[in-house]
Amino acid sequence: MSEALAVVGTAGTDTSVPAVSGARQFWRRLRAQRAALVAAAVVALLVLVALAAPLLTALEGQDPTTYHPTLIDSARGGVPLGSLGGVSADHWLGVEPQTGRDMFARLVYGARVSLGVSLAATLIQVLLGVAMGVAAGLGNRWVDLVISRVTDIFVSMPLMIMALALLAIVPSGFPRPVLVALIISLVAGWSTVAKMVRAQTLALKNLDYVSASRLSGWSTWRTATRELLPGLAAPVITYAALLVPSDISAEAALSFLGVGVQPPTPSWGQMLTSADVWYQAAPQYLLLPALALFVTVFAMTVLGDGVRVALDPRAASRLRVGTGRKREARARAAVPGDAPRKEERP
Amino acid sequence: MRQPSVIARRVAAASVSLVVAAGAAACGPEDSDAKGAGGDSTPHKGGTLTVLNAQPQSDFDPARLYTSGGGNVPSLVFRTLTTRNRENGAAGAKVVPDLATDTGRPNKDATVWTYTLKKGLKYEDGTPITSADIKYGIERSFAPELSGGAPYLRDWLVGAAGYQGPYKDKKGLSAIETPDARTIVFHLVKPEGEFPYLATQTQFAPVPKGKDTGTKYESHPVSSGPYKVVKNENDGEHLVLERNTHWSAATDEERKAYPDTIDVRSGLDSSVINQRLSASQGADAAAVTTDTNLGPAELAKVSGDKELAARVGTGHFGYTNYLAFNPKVKPFDKPEVRQAIAYAIDRSSVVNAAGGSALAEPATTFLPNQKSFGYTAYDPFPAGASGNPAKARELLAKAGHKNGLTLTLTHSNSKDFETSPEIATAVQDALKKAGITVKLQGLEDNDYRDKIHSVKTEPGLFLAHWGADWPSGGPFLAPIFDGRQIVKDGANFNTGQLDDKSVNDEIDAINKLTDLDAAARRWGALDKKIGDKALVVPLFHPVYKRLYGKDVKNIVISDWTGVLDISQVAVK
Repeated sequence: MSEALAVVGTAGTDTSVPAVSGARQFWRRLRAQRAALVAAAVVALLVLVALAAPLLTALEGQDPTTYHPTLIDSARGGVPLGSLGGVSADHWLGVEPQTGRDMFARLVYGARVSLGVSLAATLIQVLLGVAMGVAAGLGNRWVDLVISRVTDIFVSMPLMIMALALLAIVPSGFPRPVLVALIISLVAGWSTVAKMVRAQTLALKNLDYVSASRLSGWSTWRTATRELLPGLAAPVITYAALLVPSDISAEAALSFLGVGVQPPTPSWGQMLTSADVWYQAAPQYLLLPALALFVTVFAMTVLGDGVRVALDPRAASRLRVGTGRKREARARAAVPGDAPRKEERP
Repeated sequence: MRQPSVIARRVAAASVSLVVAAGAAACGPEDSDAKGAGGDSTPHKGGTLTVLNAQPQSDFDPARLYTSGGGNVPSLVFRTLTTRNRENGAAGAKVVPDLATDTGRPNKDATVWTYTLKKGLKYEDGTPITSADIKYGIERSFAPELSGGAPYLRDWLVGAAGYQGPYKDKKGLSAIETPDARTIVFHLVKPEGEFPYLATQTQFAPVPKGKDTGTKYESHPVSSGPYKVVKNENDGEHLVLERNTHWSAATDEERKAYPDTIDVRSGLDSSVINQRLSASQGADAAAVTTDTNLGPAELAKVSGDKELAARVGTGHFGYTNYLAFNPKVKPFDKPEVRQAIAYAIDRSSVVNAAGGSALAEPATTFLPNQKSFGYTAYDPFPAGASGNPAKARELLAKAGHKNGLTLTLTHSNSKDFETSPEIATAVQDALKKAGITVKLQGLEDNDYRDKIHSVKTEPGLFLAHWGADWPSGGPFLAPIFDGRQIVKDGANFNTGQLDDKSVNDEIDAINKLTDLDAAARRWGALDKKIGDKALVVPLFHPVYKRLYGKDVKNIVISDWTGVLDISQVAVK
């Protein structure tokens, strides 16, 4: 961890290296990993699809809530008529059993909920976690004690049970996606961020440049924002990148349990819930949201790992493919002391 | 308190539905008994019938069981004064004598009912069954520790309101007289022409006083029926029944009792039950279920397979799923708003959400579409198959909601295809076309039930369902529309909070009738009259589809239970 800090930490302090070089270095290392690039492209595409959902469905000429009773076989439990779950020029991915709602429209609108909720949850987790962690690390003994014990309590909270309890007592008028995002971020995640940030803060606190800042009379706030935060960026960004996929899964799990977003708003988790019994009669109904969820979580995980490696080049990637480690190693051998040069890349 | 969900579930739990025609088809080519092209569809004695169920037969005590017509598995062990007719379809909705020689002899105003027991009735130990045992069986159902049955006996018998059962109160119920060992007389507080229906419930099974072990009786209740309990594990999770050699077919016209052994295995997941029945391997070839329907997805799979489709039984149980209004909540106080919703409803999409045309039939009447209930076809707010949004908008404009309105629909979050989100979403979609924006309020199932059954918390618009304790208009209409049954504190089922003197009076008048056919016609007319008030919007009547094993024969499904009657089934 400390090596990683040193990399970005140097960028934050006024040493001989120009301030931009940290970001540039990071970008170069990220680009060197093919898998991370592909993952980034996939994530970008998913975000784009989610943002453009109304546009895409308009292009298809459908919407996610309209029933199409003529496209299903009512006498056979409402199974979609036609092959592959009713795939046609009008319905690119077929229709939903029992309702005939358009699968493509539901899938792309579902992306909005799944991605929106998880990104919002991650943002809250990171902000809250950093604030609490830094406060605990820089505060006096009592502040540290209280914050640390509260953090411990939240670390040990079981997400699903707490979520079920909270969702039961919150008035139903409260917008569900916001509520789900809040629950995921408040119950889970932030506490682990806080613990990690506190530990980092304690380590950084005693480094010379931080001590210098404090001794020269800067306020705690200024010390935290100017000296500590840049040093914390690497581990926090790394952790956040890995939190996103876990938050997507949490949203899906909550919706799967029927306590996530409310119908008719589609979400992938909710689609999976109603589809689980259809795996034999209409497999695509289950496979489409499952595939979407898998691709998203996988891409996010690979990207997260790529970010981690780029911020911390000396730590080995957990992934064994497409990380560009071999190439980087070759490049290092050729040009000692730095990352590969641009012209050496294929 | 008549808990509709309890009734529905218990009754559903006592039910299996199979078609008669499938009886012949039950012998597939793999069947070793098959003789020639048609196969041998004649039922024979012997073999073991396996019952694969989700709900265990818990509290297997005649005092504690809540059944319709005596239940399915319980009816193999407990005989009652009367019972349901074990025939297919509408004929099966009739009440027939069981231990008694007839369905009961009423006095002039139907407040006194007299029964005479058949001769030669015996328990599993060979001792004779007496009328005092039936009286004792009813009395012990009043004991607080043996609660669970339907509330009618307490409501109907003279002096029964505060009775605490024979353990505390040795004198017994004076409302029941047993002048001799074969005669039993019931004195009621008010005329009840439907008393013979009540006498089908297991509380009317004889219990020998000397063998009564109180709460422990359920582990080995003394059998009066064709089978006795030889094993009861984990409170009814695994029940093994074997022949009661003292039971005589000569005194019992209703139960066929073909298999030698009945092996009831419960606590299974519904998908596991359907998977095992469709595979029909080993002992499962002679298996049925009395509580698990095919869901929409399972039906889609089964209907695509000829061999499986031939092993599906279809039945109808008197049951209605509907949209309920609370007219005390605005804007549902305005009849035009309620009527507009009735016009806007798209029953085809609701039926699809409930599992499609094979699993649900569109309903425009509150009474189930069966003759025994007094079904009278009517449709006061004709919405057609897919709704009449234009007419709905017109009515809304009349009520002062020219620019549409926004409503909240309360439903349960359980996955039952009855009051679940699928149905609510279909309603939401239909009302959208009439300019009504519906917000969904999905509640956890218990929370939902508590809310809709309390006058204090009852929402304005919610999904509801109702099933009757027996196939007649009385237990269907009275709890929902009798103004005197509005419960201020506690569980209230008159959710429309209707208190109309003419309706109340008509209910009293029909209860006096002992001619059940005449009563049925009047229930039908009353249903039509209430229907005009638009206090509910009937949505659909469910249809039961159930699988049974390859070797199962002699399938009988009555309209009383809507499910395969295991007293008729043969596996040889």
